[in-house]
Amino acid sequence: MAEATQTLLVIEDSDEDFAAFERILRKASINNVVYRCVDGDEALDFLRHNGQYQDRTKAPRPGIILLDLNLPGTDGREVLEQIKQDSELKMIPVVVFTTSSNPKDIEVCYQCGVNGYILKPIDVKKLMRTVQVLIDYWFEAVILPNSVRG
Amino acid sequence: MSQSKDNIIVQPIDLTAYDKEFLHLSGAIQPHGILFALKEPQLEIIQVSNNTFELLGFQPQEILHKSLKELLTPQEILFIEGCLLKDFESVNPIKLSLNKSTKIKDFDGILHRCDGILILELEPKITQEERDFIRFYHFVKGAIAKMQNAPNLSELCQNITQEIQKLTGFDRVMIYQFDGKQAGKVVAEQKREELTAYLGLHYPASDIPEQAKKLYTLNRLRLIPDIEAQPKQLIPSHNSITNKPLDLSYAILRSVSPCHLEYLKNMGVTASMSISLNKDRKLWGLIACHHYSTKYVSYEIRTACEFLGQVMSLELASKEENESLDYRIKLKTIQNKFLEAMPLAENFMEGLVKDKTNLLELVDAQGVVICTDGDLAIAGNTPNKSDIYDLLAWVEAKIDNDIFYTDCLPKLYPTAERFKDVASGLIVLSISQIQKNYVLWFRPEVIQTVNWGGDPQQSVRFEQEGRLSPRKSFELWQETVRSQSLPWKPCEIDAVLELRSAIVSIVLRKADELARINIELARSNNELDAFAYIASHDLKEPLRGIHNYSNFLIEDYAEILNAEGVSKLQTLVRLTQRMEDLINSLLHFSRLGRVELSVQQIDLNELVSNVIDVLSISLGQTDVEINIPRPLPAIYCDKVQVSEVFSNLITNAVKYNNQATKRVEIGFLDGDRTSKESPTVFYVKDNGIGIKEKHFDAIFRIFKRLHTVHKYGGGTGAGLTIAKKIVERHDGGIWVESTYGEGSTFYFTLQGKGG
Repeated sequence: MAEATQTLLVIEDSDEDFAAFERILRKASINNVVYRCVDGDEALDFLRHNGQYQDRTKAPRPGIILLDLNLPGTDGREVLEQIKQDSELKMIPVVVFTTSSNPKDIEVCYQCGVNGYILKPIDVKKLMRTVQVLIDYWFEAVILPNSVRG
Repeated sequence: MSQSKDNIIVQPIDLTAYDKEFLHLSGAIQPHGILFALKEPQLEIIQVSNNTFELLGFQPQEILHKSLKELLTPQEILFIEGCLLKDFESVNPIKLSLNKSTKIKDFDGILHRCDGILILELEPKITQEERDFIRFYHFVKGAIAKMQNAPNLSELCQNITQEIQKLTGFDRVMIYQFDGKQAGKVVAEQKREELTAYLGLHYPASDIPEQAKKLYTLNRLRLIPDIEAQPKQLIPSHNSITNKPLDLSYAILRSVSPCHLEYLKNMGVTASMSISLNKDRKLWGLIACHHYSTKYVSYEIRTACEFLGQVMSLELASKEENESLDYRIKLKTIQNKFLEAMPLAENFMEGLVKDKTNLLELVDAQGVVICTDGDLAIAGNTPNKSDIYDLLAWVEAKIDNDIFYTDCLPKLYPTAERFKDVASGLIVLSISQIQKNYVLWFRPEVIQTVNWGGDPQQSVRFEQEGRLSPRKSFELWQETVRSQSLPWKPCEIDAVLELRSAIVSIVLRKADELARINIELARSNNELDAFAYIASHDLKEPLRGIHNYSNFLIEDYAEILNAEGVSKLQTLVRLTQRMEDLINSLLHFSRLGRVELSVQQIDLNELVSNVIDVLSISLGQTDVEINIPRPLPAIYCDKVQVSEVFSNLITNAVKYNNQATKRVEIGFLDGDRTSKESPTVFYVKDNGIGIKEKHFDAIFRIFKRLHTVHKYGGGTGAGLTIAKKIVERHDGGIWVESTYGEGSTFYFTLQGKGG
């Protein structure tokens, strides 16, 4: 499946949230490769192949980025801004996946050019549904930019 | 036609006619001296008084058109001629001996020039006083020292009456002072013990006509040795230089007005002397001397008196200034007390109300009213409340630059005639016209204020003898000052205006403080706002972890765990959901106050029907009857928020209800139809479980619940708190009436018109 080649970068500091996310992917038999960065600086290194990610094979360009907003160190909002200001990176769809329903955050993210804004539900069933919709949409319904180049 | 101080006692005659008399052109002199009108340079006698025979022993015709040189020695003529080249008035009097006189030989000669005519007046030297400087110096030295040392105006006045009496021996010496409207008052008196006191008596302005006042300012001393003496005409009546009667404005011998003589007679006075007191070139008052037999005062003594009058005139300015300075300092002290007290009070009007005594003293008023938005705080003597409201309605339009004042209110506002005894004088200070904050000060009619000087009973005696009495004069004075108060002094008006600016500066300072607090508040609100989101995020993350892991445990290990273990995990899941609800409610509540209201006219029927539609989905199978007895009005409100109010109240009505059929009634009360401003009272009534009265207030507190979580479908306990906040943001109120066990009715108000 062509879709299986698409990778996902999850920028998430919470181990529990990430574990829940992985579990849901696994349960839903979603096989996309998932990379995870735990903070903004690491994510930017990953995307720019800096620091520990100089080996490009260990840090391929993701098909889509899932971004938590409240991150230690470089904040999610700043990561988003940096991505969307970078002529190369700005093509990668970024979906914010956060607990914050603050209207200001939503506004700022869309101003920066975010491709989607999803609230993390607490209810596990809702979470599963949300993740499923997210994967279905971005990996099945949508044509991602890097699939064109390939 | 001259008047002296004696005009103090008034005669009811037509003073207007008197005013028109040409007092200085009477063509006659008092008979105790001789007057020559001389043509320079040959000193030709062109007019002479018709009493030369009595005093000198020859007829006036004998010397008319001759030179003065024929009467005097060459040395005297030489001296006079020498004087004429210089400031000759400073040499008065000149000691003259008339060698042609067969009667009196020694005279005091007083020279002055008027209209180009040289006038020489001769007064017989009756006494043998030596005209020496040292003696004059002793006359006045002590008196001046006393005057200068006088601590205030009243002692200054008292001192000079004593000194003048000592110098002249008059039976009575008084100080007569004019007020702002030229009415007069006796402010100091020195008299023989057996005489009736005139001290404190008031007299109308008309007592001394303008014409007479002018002469007082020109001629600082005026002596009438004997009112019975017949005036002597000048011969001829017109002088050859001007072809007019001689101008006697500066003549010390000028004859006395018949009217004035009449006054003196009525008072039983035989001789009088008056000394003008001037301040800032205006007649301030008079030193008035009365004698009850004939009395001549030598030129020398008169000069000393005149000199003392001049010193007193100089002292007046500084003494009055000191007096007014003392008064101003007193006013300032009172003001400062307000300024200290006012910032401590809840608001400045309360600060004023607290200290009404000082408020009265600030302008020396007898009554004060503080009007705060229609409420009156009253101290002292004032008109009654309804009169004050009427007065305020009248005066509002008269206030100019925040102040209105008058000392004759009944003349401007005839209604005030009824209460002139407390309010002939009025100051209105506007502190805020929008909020109708005023301070009103009242002064009574001056007649109520003035103390009667002397014993009125005693003065009756005069009247019985058919004479004018001070008592009668007082009555005349009463007539002229009816419906007037004492005038407000400029420093009192200033004090009132300063009080206002002080109040305004306090108000502004408070406004500044408020603005600063508001900025601070806005900042901390923003922080709180951010805090609420961060807190909700940070709280939710571990919560989600607990929730998810509990679920995973149930999913993965349900077979291993026993039923109790699974149940506990399920409880854990439920608790996390509940906690999320609480966090969401808190967040929602904290945002309510932050979101701008979007107010527009809303049809409540439509709004409520939408709310019911939404609710009916969640109500499901429950048997609910919602009744709206009559159509609801349209009102101005925020649609989303008011929907939430109805939604919360209807949900509660259904939720806290154990009846088989749950009834909810939604309606509004018939309010006060006369006032379009009054808000409409809406209600949501149920047949539910009811609320005990002691909980009526508590139910609106956030997270305050009356029941356990499991009863009545749970809930976070934020619904009513949110409803309350929404209603309050619409400037309304919310309350509950309930009978425990029978049902509750929640009432809330929303603005009917225009929001």
